[in-house]
Amino acid sequence: MSIEAKVEQYKKTLSLFPNPQEKYQYLIEQAKLNEEFPTELRIDEFKVNGCQSQVWLVPEEREEKLHFKSDSDALIAKGLVTLIASIYSDESAQDIADSEIDLMEEFELGVILSPARRNGAFSMLKTIKEFSKKLAD
Amino acid sequence: MKQVSEIKKDFPIFQRLINGKELTYLDSGATSQKPNIVIDSMSEVYKQNNANVHRGTYVLSSETTSKYEDVRNKFKNFINANLPEEIIFTKGCTEGFNLLANSLCKDLSEGDEILLSEIEHHANIIPWQMAADKYGLVIKYINVDQNFNLDMDHLENQLTTNTKIVSLVGESNISGMLPDIKKINKLIKNKTEALFILDGAQLVPHREVDVQDLGIDFLCVSGHKMLGPTGIGVVWGKKELLEKMDPVYGGGDMIEEVFYDKATWAPIPHKFEAGTPPYVEAIGLGAAVDYLSDLTMAEVQKHSDHLRLYAKNTLENINGINIIHTDSENAGCTFAMSVNGVHATDISLMLDTFGVAVRAGHHCVQPFHRKLNIDATFRATGYIYNDEKDFDTLANAIEESLKILR
Repeated sequence: MSIEAKVEQYKKTLSLFPNPQEKYQYLIEQAKLNEEFPTELRIDEFKVNGCQSQVWLVPEEREEKLHFKSDSDALIAKGLVTLIASIYSDESAQDIADSEIDLMEEFELGVILSPARRNGAFSMLKTIKEFSKKLAD
Repeated sequence: MKQVSEIKKDFPIFQRLINGKELTYLDSGATSQKPNIVIDSMSEVYKQNNANVHRGTYVLSSETTSKYEDVRNKFKNFINANLPEEIIFTKGCTEGFNLLANSLCKDLSEGDEILLSEIEHHANIIPWQMAADKYGLVIKYINVDQNFNLDMDHLENQLTTNTKIVSLVGESNISGMLPDIKKINKLIKNKTEALFILDGAQLVPHREVDVQDLGIDFLCVSGHKMLGPTGIGVVWGKKELLEKMDPVYGGGDMIEEVFYDKATWAPIPHKFEAGTPPYVEAIGLGAAVDYLSDLTMAEVQKHSDHLRLYAKNTLENINGINIIHTDSENAGCTFAMSVNGVHATDISLMLDTFGVAVRAGHHCVQPFHRKLNIDATFRATGYIYNDEKDFDTLANAIEESLKILR
């Protein structure tokens, strides 16, 4: 599924939850389902700077596609990084680097996705983009 | 004090709904809400009087100048300073500390010591660290004990003839701790010739402060935490000390005479207020002082003490909550909290969905959080527009949030 299609699908899902509390509960469920992150990878090298909680993103190459393992010590942030990681996983570095979708604009996630450059979600996206650009170049 | 329900009517922000719910604002430790009298005083200046202060030879400038200078007098009375010229306007408490650190430390000698405590706000750490680096000074920290109070024995031991500056928080923005200022002042003056600076950011909004009675040398105040606007603060200092100090910022309004190769300084307070001052913000602060003075600070303090006891009992009943709060009988209405296994950010995001505004993080007191081995806490602070119901709402929302997060 393309990045755009995945974003559309998540948009649809998130729109099922009209209030922020339900949206957060959805993110918390996503966080609890994400069990693939080994504790030993919770190291500074993979830490995403600029988040209020600790967030880790580990990029891996699998058969010319990228895959992102993600984790956080906070549940809502983990739900968010899980969602973002799944949008960009199993895509080529070039496709990720070329993708111009503005998640901040697309998803209505209240205060956690406010379009501020100091926002944690912004840092998560930046980490993914920068890694992909390096590989694509 | 007048009823909280009546006070709330003076603050337009409480008409807002947050996520469809009434606003429960418990983040006054970060910034207070503003009453109409403050907002109106500022818009009135812009609509009726606005002109740059000092030296203007026309009606508007004269009106604005006298409104601005009146605030100096109001603030002098508010903290019982001796003279209005001892009140220096800054853009906030942080700038106040930077001003003092820059001006005072340059006259110190290598190896001289600055004494702070382990629970200081970054604003009362970083400016001293920067000055210490520049002038070869040594920073020492007074221990905070397991009950979140200053270790008075340690304080006494740390005071030596090398101690030149002691700068301490007046009311902790983490534990609500209220150090015994007069006792500390006596210890300092008995053993050293050090200057005693008090961080009044949280203290001045909540309690009666009489700088002459406390015996301190300097006080830093934040305007926006005491119902005033942002961008305004106060440094109070004893006249004889301020007169000896050099200015930190150069520019217009702080000079007496300027030549191409040198300049002489204006008398205090103007020597420290370079450039166009934030006069509209100062006038807003004056209205905030009026509002608090009408309530009387004795009543504001009584309300804080009453609310703090209620909040403490209510929050302590929440299963599994750790509260970083002093065990002293007297304390500020500030509660930094954590729950094992649940991140503070998650709790504060969930609380927001109940219309409850609290802060999560290290609250600009990172070294102390590190000492406690806690990454982040969420913090609730009560003020004049909060009552028991707000803390009931908070406690209930914490319990509901934990059901989802655990």
